[in-house]
This record gives sequence, C-alpha cells and structure tokens, in this order.
Amino acid sequence: MKPDPNTPRNRSLLRLAAAMAPILLLLILLPTFVETYQIQLVTYGLIAAIAALGFNLLLGYTGLLSFGHSAYFGIGAYTVAFVVQHLGPHSMEFYILIGIPVVAIVSALFGYICVRHTRIFFGILTLAISQVVYSLVLKLYWVTGGSDGLRVPRPALLLGLLNFSGPRAFQQFITSYYYYVLAIFVVCVVLMWVVVHSPFGKALQAIRDNEVRARFLGLSIRRFRWISFLVSGTFTGLAGILWVPLNGLTTPDVLYWTFSGEIVFSALLGGFRNFTGPIVGGIVFTYLKTYAVATTEYWQLLLGVVLVTLVLVLPTGIVGGLSMLGLRLSKGRS
Amino acid sequence: MEKTTPSVNRRAFLNTLGVTVGGTGLIGAGLVGGSQLLKAAQDPAKGRVPDTPFKTGHMTFLTGAGAVLGEPSIKGHTMAAEEINAQGGLLGKRKIETITADEAAGTDACVKEVRRMKLDAKIDMFTGVISSGTSPAVGPVAEELGLLTILTDGCTDFLFDKAIPNPKYVFRITNIQSSDGITAAIGVAQTWPHVRKIAHIHPDYAYGRNAYEHFTLALERLVPGTEIVSESWPKLFTTDFTAHITKIMSAQPDLLVASVWGGDYVAFYKQALRYGLFDKMKVASTIAFGVAPHAIGKDHPEGVLAGVHSNYYFTYPGGDRWPLNKSFVQRYFKRWNEYPNFQSEGAYMALYLLKSAIERANKLTGGWPEDEAIISQLEGIGIDAPSGYLYMRPDHQAYKDAVTGFSKNLPGYEFASWDPARIITIPIRNITAPLGWPKPGTTHNESTAAANWIKTTWPKVVG
Repeated sequence: MKPDPNTPRNRSLLRLAAAMAPILLLLILLPTFVETYQIQLVTYGLIAAIAALGFNLLLGYTGLLSFGHSAYFGIGAYTVAFVVQHLGPHSMEFYILIGIPVVAIVSALFGYICVRHTRIFFGILTLAISQVVYSLVLKLYWVTGGSDGLRVPRPALLLGLLNFSGPRAFQQFITSYYYYVLAIFVVCVVLMWVVVHSPFGKALQAIRDNEVRARFLGLSIRRFRWISFLVSGTFTGLAGILWVPLNGLTTPDVLYWTFSGEIVFSALLGGFRNFTGPIVGGIVFTYLKTYAVATTEYWQLLLGVVLVTLVLVLPTGIVGGLSMLGLRLSKGRS
Repeated sequence: MEKTTPSVNRRAFLNTLGVTVGGTGLIGAGLVGGSQLLKAAQDPAKGRVPDTPFKTGHMTFLTGAGAVLGEPSIKGHTMAAEEINAQGGLLGKRKIETITADEAAGTDACVKEVRRMKLDAKIDMFTGVISSGTSPAVGPVAEELGLLTILTDGCTDFLFDKAIPNPKYVFRITNIQSSDGITAAIGVAQTWPHVRKIAHIHPDYAYGRNAYEHFTLALERLVPGTEIVSESWPKLFTTDFTAHITKIMSAQPDLLVASVWGGDYVAFYKQALRYGLFDKMKVASTIAFGVAPHAIGKDHPEGVLAGVHSNYYFTYPGGDRWPLNKSFVQRYFKRWNEYPNFQSEGAYMALYLLKSAIERANKLTGGWPEDEAIISQLEGIGIDAPSGYLYMRPDHQAYKDAVTGFSKNLPGYEFASWDPARIITIPIRNITAPLGWPKPGTTHNESTAAANWIKTTWPKVVG
C-alpha cells in the first residue's frame, strides 16, 4: 500500500520539516557571521537541547518526572573519558559507538528499577540512583580522579579525516565540532519526532493521561514506561558523550543532582508540553547560565528568580507562552 | 638488590634542610646564578605604546565557603591594579582593567568562563584561581587559547606534572602543593618529634590527597615509627564536621593533621573546640591561617601549627627588617581596612611580576612587547615581594621560601595570629623536586615528581 501523504502523521512530519528548514539554514550559516565563542556556546546549547529532548520523553510524554537524568549524561561523559584513558583511539565515532550501548544498558537497568513506581516515588528513586553514581565517581579517586575529574583531549572527527593540531586548532575544532553536533542534533530531533508520533508514542501519552484506561486497553504499562525510560536515558547519555570532548574534561559536577535540576529547568523553561519546548529550553538555559555567571556573583539568585517567575507567569514555558501569544494575536485580528 | 636508605640524625637532617625557627631567616628563594632582582623601573617606556586598556580576567571564589580566600585575592589584585594605574598604567600608558569570574560556579563552568573571557571579553591576561580542582581544568584551556596566565593559587603538582607538562603560556606564582605537606611535616618533626599515633582530616579532592601523601612521605623519613590511626575525607565545602570530629577523637591520636581550608577550617575549629579536641591532641595544619586573617577568631586555640599554604603570613618578615612587607601591609590595611593573606599577596605580586616582565621586554625591543617576549622575561625572573624574594623558575613554577607558624593570641590583633618567636622558614629549593626532575609517567609512576624525589633522595633519620 502506498503511504498516503495526507495521514496526520505524515502531515505533521512535513510541518516539522517546514518549520525546521529556515532555522536549520540559519544554524548552518551561523559560523560565517558569529565568533568562535558564540559557536561554542550554541554547540553547548544544542547538546543541552538533546539532553532535555530525551528527558522530556519521560516528563512530557510519559508523565514521569525524573530527578536523576544527570546519571545518564554523566555516564555518557565518563564512558568517553574511560575509553580515552584505557582504549586509545581518539576518534569521536569510536566514542559514540562504545558510549551509546553503555548508556542504553545503564538506562535499561536503572529504568527497570524506577518504573515500578510513579509520581514522587519515581522521582525520589531516580534521584537516589543518580546520587549513588555520583558518590561512587567522587569517592573512587584512583579510578575516576575524584572531584578533579578526567581530561578528554580533542578527538579526530569522521574516522580520522578531520584532525586538529597547530596554533588555531581550537578554533578549527569548535567550528567542525559544531557541524558535527548539529548533524547529530537533527538526527535526534527527527528520531524523537518519529518516536512520539508513532503508535508507541501515542500509547505513552495515553498512559500519561489516564493510566487505568490505558491498562483496560490492554497496554502493558510498565513495559511501555520502561522502554520510554530507556530511550530517554540514551538520548541524555548521547548528550553527555557529545559534551565531554567540547568541554575537555568531565567532573562529578555533571552527575550531581543539581545538574539533573538543570535538565528539568531547561524543559520547564522551554515548555514540557511542547515537542520543541525542551530544545528551546536547553539552548536558552545554556545562554542564561553562562551570562548569569559572567555578569553577577548573585547568579544563583538570578536563576532562582527566573525559575519562580516562570512557574508563576509562564507555566507552559517559552514555547507554550509564544504559541499562546500567537493564538491570541490571530484571534484579535479575526 | 634493594638500595639501603641512608640514615642520619634528625637534628642534622633538619639543619641540612635549612630549617630556621624564630623568623630570623630571610633566604634567597633558590636564586640561581646571581640575583636577578629588579629595582622598580623609573625610566620612561621606549617606543610607541598604545594607550588601550590592558584587560585582565581574574577568577576566584566570589561566593560560598571559598570566598574567605577569594575576597583577599580580588582585593590584592585590585590594589596592585590601582597602584599601577595611578602611575599611568603598564609602561605608563596601558591602564589595567579587570573583569572577574566566580570560581564557585563549578569546574565545568570555570572552563567555559575562561573561554568566554578570552574569546568574548578579549582579555590580554588571565589571573587568579584558588582551588586545585580548578587549575588543572583551566590550565590546558589557557594553553589551548594561547592566553597568557599567572595562576595565583591552584597549587597542585598535577598541573605541571601531568595536565600541562610543558607550559608555554601558564605560570604559577604560589608555592607548589607538595611543599605544603612537607612544610607541615618538618614543623611537626621540629616541634613534636615524639608523636606516634596520627589522625588525618583532609578535603576529599586533589589538595587534600596531595597534602596527606606528602606529609606522610616526609614524616616517615623525619619521624620514623608513626602510624596512621584515623583518616577523614570530608567533601570540600562541608559545614558540619561533628561526625569527623568524634571519629578522630575516638581514635585517640597524638597528632591531627588537617588541610581543610577557607570557611571549612573556620567551621571545623569552632566545632572541634566544643568537643575539646584541641586539648586532647596536637594539631598541625597546612593551611589553617590561609584565610583572611580576621576570619580566625580570638577563640582559636594557641600552639596549633597553623600553616599558610607555605606561602605568606602578613606578620612575616616582621618589623622593619623587610620594609616591602611593612608598607604592603600598611597600604592594604588602609585600602581595605583588614590585613592581607597569602592570596592577597599572590594576586598583588602577579600583576607586579607582569609589570616587571613587560618593562624588561620593552627596554630590549621598545614598544608594547608581544606575549612571546613577556613570557621569555617571566621565565627565570626574580623580584622582591612582600613575602621575601620571589623567583620564577624557567619551568613556570614560582619559588619563595616556605613558611609556617604557631597560633598565638597577641594583644595587637583582633584575631589569633602567629607567635613571632616560633615562625619556621625553609628554603623552598630544599623541599621541592629540582628543575627537570622526571615527571610522573616518564621514569617513574609516583603521583608527583616531588614524591619520587623524596623517595629517592631523602634519608631516614634515627633517634
């Protein structure tokens, strides 16, 4: 049977493509008109967006608030660091190849334990497990470097085709790595779009909205939640894998619960009821924190104020708020 | 066949190390090949010098428990900048402008901050850093960006041993970390050679690990036959030490060795007082008095070996013997209404070191010197500092005499300070691995070059 271009799913995919095209074009052209520093920040932002996108499969689509996503991000980052230390080849593809199965297995394992509960119990379990990982990494000083963390030098990209050395190596690396991350980011967005619009994604939403009804429909709720957890953790883990060569070093900071809080913050900031919300949230949060730290020593206060304002004034986040504004404007016109 | 360790008598060994008690010594900080000390350059700059500001980025703890070390750091930096700017700036033309970054934002944020300062704010030089967790993270970043850097602390051996073994842009003005543990061990061997049961409390990160290791290594040679009866590793910036204190006390040690610093130490000693810990054992610290002097209360017990990171305490060199220190302390007090600590002095000297290097380079070539020219002048420079003679080794690690002292309540100060009669000084070259000593991962796999140096060259004392 020929696929019908007018099915809602294909229509929505087209809509995504149409919406993404100009933004993607802008992102591709970005390095031609901004400086290395901004390219680097956007790269951090895209990585944060991938992490938040993964996180939101659980919160926005499955209705489970995880307070332990730092664990998957951190395990991704530390896996790369261990590979660098013990296995040798400085190739980004190699890191990803080893890293993804590791984070997937860990997510599956932790998810299996966590999805036995929901609501606050789920949140506390995820938090507890991530804190166990954090404590281990912090205390196993001789393996993980403790609070000093582990260094990760610049890898070669595209199977060693792109190597970086010489006086302007850093600048060259940042620009190439930006495109590298951008490509993976696009793949992640499309993949996640397909997941949430698939029957599986619909089932997750049904579970989120009414667990009892979903069970009467014959859905195996725990298994669906488990797979959702697995996908979510793997996406966030991939973000960790991509993050560590950019940062040059990984420390237990990225495993601490406050980092989980930052992922939650990003999703809230962009709007977790929206597909694009966490993407916008991840990028905006990266800029917000960087410039808050840079401009004031009271940056923690500033972030706190933003969070409180957000919850009180814009409960649907930036994207939710914007689309509401758009709706109101178009209503006012008609 | 294993080489037998040579043995000597303790007093003789301490003498060969050049240990002086009573604060009378003022020893050249390992100056090689004659003095390279500079007089303040009065000559006008040669050639055309731009009058654009010289931008520095200073990173330190502006918030949190580290701020008791961070504030003095920024104050020392600011005072030096103000003094230099009052004379027209660097080479009389370029005023120093400073932007700051909060080290408390975490290691990863610090990495981002250094990149922001260089790439976005376009700084000409980077200074500061307190924590030994931060310096190995930001050092390679500075090298990667080609950013001229004088770290004022973040003293870990790891920085130049492993993180950047061949630094080009990064210099460090503080004494190297291993000398801190060794200085404390020498203080113990000199004062309490009869201690046997030893307890340790150190923050659980690079600095604490290093202090523990080098203290132990040195003490094993200076006071053989000691045993470690308790170890506590509180997380950095812990505020509740009660569990650690009760653990230490139940082990009944003769001596407690501590390297908790900043607000952590203040919290620790106040809580330890409530348990009477200081009455039950001797206490030796590498960095107890490293905080801003007024952060220590009058309630601080006397007779504690209260280290200052083996760098500087404002009462030494005291009196009129070293006018540079006297006037520094007076100006600092006038400017900030408090006394300086080693961070103030380090941050202050970092800018003067830069000033000297720029002036020397200018004399040679005229105009504003390139970074390369400044770097070649910084390598091997000697300069008079409030703490004494300061010498920058060609491998970018500074040398100044290690100093430590015993706490005492003097009527002149609102806080516990050092007993002027019991200040211990040690020529730094006698307790640091010499220039060019093999780094870890080359001919040995010790944690630091210093550890390997001690193990291979130090004798064991008898009696």
